[in-house]
Amino acid sequence: MKVMREDLHVLTGSYALDAISDTEREEFERHLQHCPACEAEVRGMRETAARLALACAVTPPVRMEQRVLAATYRTRQLPPLSADHPRRALSRRRALSRRSLPRRASSRSAFPRGAVTRRVAVFAAAASVAVAAVLGITQLSAQHQLDQARATAIARVVTAPDAHVATARTSVGGSVTVVTSAALREAVVSASGMASLPSSRVYQVWVMSPSGARSAGLMHGSSLLASAVRPGDRIGITVEPADGTARPTTTPVAVLPV
Amino acid sequence: MRQLQPESPPPPDLAGLLGQVARGDHLAFELAYAELSGPVYGVVRQVLRDPAQSEEVAQEVLLEIWRTASRYDQARGSAAAWALTIAHRRAVDRVRSENACSRREQKAAEPEPAEDDVAETVAATLEHQRVRRCMDGLTGLQRESIKLAYYNGYSYPEVAKLLGVALGTVKTRIRDGLIRMRDCMEVTW
Repeated sequence: MKVMREDLHVLTGSYALDAISDTEREEFERHLQHCPACEAEVRGMRETAARLALACAVTPPVRMEQRVLAATYRTRQLPPLSADHPRRALSRRRALSRRSLPRRASSRSAFPRGAVTRRVAVFAAAASVAVAAVLGITQLSAQHQLDQARATAIARVVTAPDAHVATARTSVGGSVTVVTSAALREAVVSASGMASLPSSRVYQVWVMSPSGARSAGLMHGSSLLASAVRPGDRIGITVEPADGTARPTTTPVAVLPV
Repeated sequence: MRQLQPESPPPPDLAGLLGQVARGDHLAFELAYAELSGPVYGVVRQVLRDPAQSEEVAQEVLLEIWRTASRYDQARGSAAAWALTIAHRRAVDRVRSENACSRREQKAAEPEPAEDDVAETVAATLEHQRVRRCMDGLTGLQRESIKLAYYNGYSYPEVAKLLGVALGTVKTRIRDGLIRMRDCMEVTW
């Protein structure tokens, strides 16, 4: 018995590098539950293996990001494990994922092999609805923080079939999301979590093109509609005097493509 | 028009981001994607070699990170290790399931050594140099065993066969080599 234990213990390295068979993996994982020393060793080895992966990082093709982000909008997330029996739940999950892995049915359907353009369009529609929900736009309109016409205009952009979503952090904290419809030539700019300003200052939104920056308005609520937006334009946000200015006078806290 | 540049944001805390991702935060996922997509794609490609297949598997892995973010437990390791464990496992699973389908072709194919053809396109990161340096500190057998197992996705019996040594020897070399790497890179877990 002791000999077998020691033999298993030697497997920590091979286990951490996924160099063992499924059968051995199951056996070793059972062993791990009763061997804190092995678990600690495996942990250190996993971290070491992660360094091996970090050392061979390669920038993936750009299209991959859009596909993955699109897929997140139509993929349900797993709930957290229950606190009572995390281990049991974990092994149940492993058993499940092992069974479903070879076929990868769920992920295949998440990345259909159809035409890319169609896929993007489908995503955009789904994503926009999700983004609208996330940004609380529907809630905003319900609260009459925006007048009805404005809310309708915003809803039209975020649900447009060609809606494109971009997000960025700002240098004053929080983030900005821009949903653009090239067909409508409009963009919805939404900010959340940006530092609050003294009453003498305001966040001003700009549509920036090679010919200069044009004001899209002052950010009083959390969302703003920019019109006459063209492909290649960028959206910038600056801190300006409370009444706004004709052109930006400070370094933008965020700049996003439309 | 004057140059408009936002200040560069601080590097995100990956574990914190995963917590937000678990709550369905798409922006947090985008930031996590920016951190993880390079290493995920890199390690999958290192194992699978074929760019198209690697892209497909890397996509699945990144989506898996979205799907299972709630299962990441900070007490059990770093967020990067959690994600890259999924990535490597998926790549290896792909290799094994394909091998099962085409054992004959596999036999005919020459085993490729873990050369740096992919690494050439890699940004010369500090991590890369550190791994290199620590790899140099291993014995030849430790180094080859780890490279063949991790970067080529071979099982330890396959590694044993390729190197012409006993099974037990490979198991021990992989473990000793990893412990040495861990200490050399000052991994703390």
